[in-house]
Amino acid sequence: MYNLFRFLVRYYLFFLFVLLEVFSFYLIFQNNKYQQVAYINEANRLSGRVYSTYTGITDYFYLRSFSDSLVAENARLHAQLSDSKYYTGIDSIRKNDTIGKYIQSYEYLTARVIRNSVNQASNFIYLDKGKLQGIHKYMGVINSNGIVGQVANVTDHYCAVRSVLNKDSRVSARFIKNQFSGDLHWDGINSTTASMDNVPKHAPVKIGDTVVTSGFSELFPRNIMVGTVKKVKMEPDKDFLDITVSLATNFSSLDYVYVINNIHRNETQLLDSLTKEK
Amino acid sequence: MINQIPVNLFRFLLLLLAQILVFSNANFTSFVNPYVFPLFILLLPFETPRWLLMIIGFLSGLALDVFLGSTGMHAAACLLLGYLRPTLINVITPKGTEFEISPNVYGQGIGWFLVYLGISMLIYLSFYFVVEAATFLNFFLLFLKIILSAAVSVSFMLIFLYLFSAKKKRRYA
Repeated sequence: MYNLFRFLVRYYLFFLFVLLEVFSFYLIFQNNKYQQVAYINEANRLSGRVYSTYTGITDYFYLRSFSDSLVAENARLHAQLSDSKYYTGIDSIRKNDTIGKYIQSYEYLTARVIRNSVNQASNFIYLDKGKLQGIHKYMGVINSNGIVGQVANVTDHYCAVRSVLNKDSRVSARFIKNQFSGDLHWDGINSTTASMDNVPKHAPVKIGDTVVTSGFSELFPRNIMVGTVKKVKMEPDKDFLDITVSLATNFSSLDYVYVINNIHRNETQLLDSLTKEK
Repeated sequence: MINQIPVNLFRFLLLLLAQILVFSNANFTSFVNPYVFPLFILLLPFETPRWLLMIIGFLSGLALDVFLGSTGMHAAACLLLGYLRPTLINVITPKGTEFEISPNVYGQGIGWFLVYLGISMLIYLSFYFVVEAATFLNFFLLFLKIILSAAVSVSFMLIFLYLFSAKKKRRYA
């Protein structure tokens, strides 16, 4: 008690100052409406900033689970697109009422890229899903922007995808405008472009035309984005156009991808082998 | 010390009237609000103890508030000025200077006064304008207002000092 008293006496000037200031501010807020309101506004603004900064930081911790759930939802929505379904109706004219006439034909499995390269002649992408998750050789791989490649090898937990940026890759593609189709392959130089072969000279191809998958192979459903036409060249001694396609997929920043399971693959392969035996 | 009271009382009344009838009435621009009244606290005798400076500051500020309708704001600012004045004088005055009874523009010189008034008014006006605005939202405008008002206030204060200071009457404390 004595010490407290000594403390008060020693710093009495400062305490007098604080006391009088507190009294002044009491007077200010008692008698000035504007300062009253403005002070409350300022206090609210400050607390609002603190809270929004706080949520801005904590949101980062939930980002992973949040994006995982979004990717899962994307896979589900992809599966609901009509391009992923197989029409079971047998009538020659398609009716408006198509409920119950479609069965699932493609499934989508989400995966993450664990290793990637774009600067070699044969680029492979490694994913964190494998045989145990239902991935098999020759499945197609896409991401939200466009095609990525096809599964080349599978282990129990991982798989290697032969990227479109691989000299051995061949993807059947077509123009969304006029249905002319061709084969997409990589020329091994630029990671943002690929060449399209076997497009006949009379096809009306213009720069900027959209190229999508044709659905002719078992890899991809129809109408998956491939890219846009960047250059068209007509050489007099060739029967086909010389087309450069700028790819929609940015291969140097791949993360989440979808592996496509074609449920009817066995059937079409069986049909293929039966036809070739003859 | 006793004969200082009527001098300071007269100065108080003069500055109070000048402030409320001229400077707070003139509406220069929204950026320039000169305040000459704090000169009263700044010109109190050097030997005034800090507690008295604070009480005089608080009460005189309250008197100004009554006329300007800003209850408490000038009181708080004048109180702050009274509290900081001895420290400020210690900091800006070279050691071994002979003090007169009160600060005098002929005694301490114009340079000392420019620093003294400039720093005091920056403290005073920063405190007052921030309390008046009660927000930091328009920080740049507030800053501009403080700088311009302080410059104009100090100019008027110097005019006042040259008009009303006794010349070369050196009385050593």
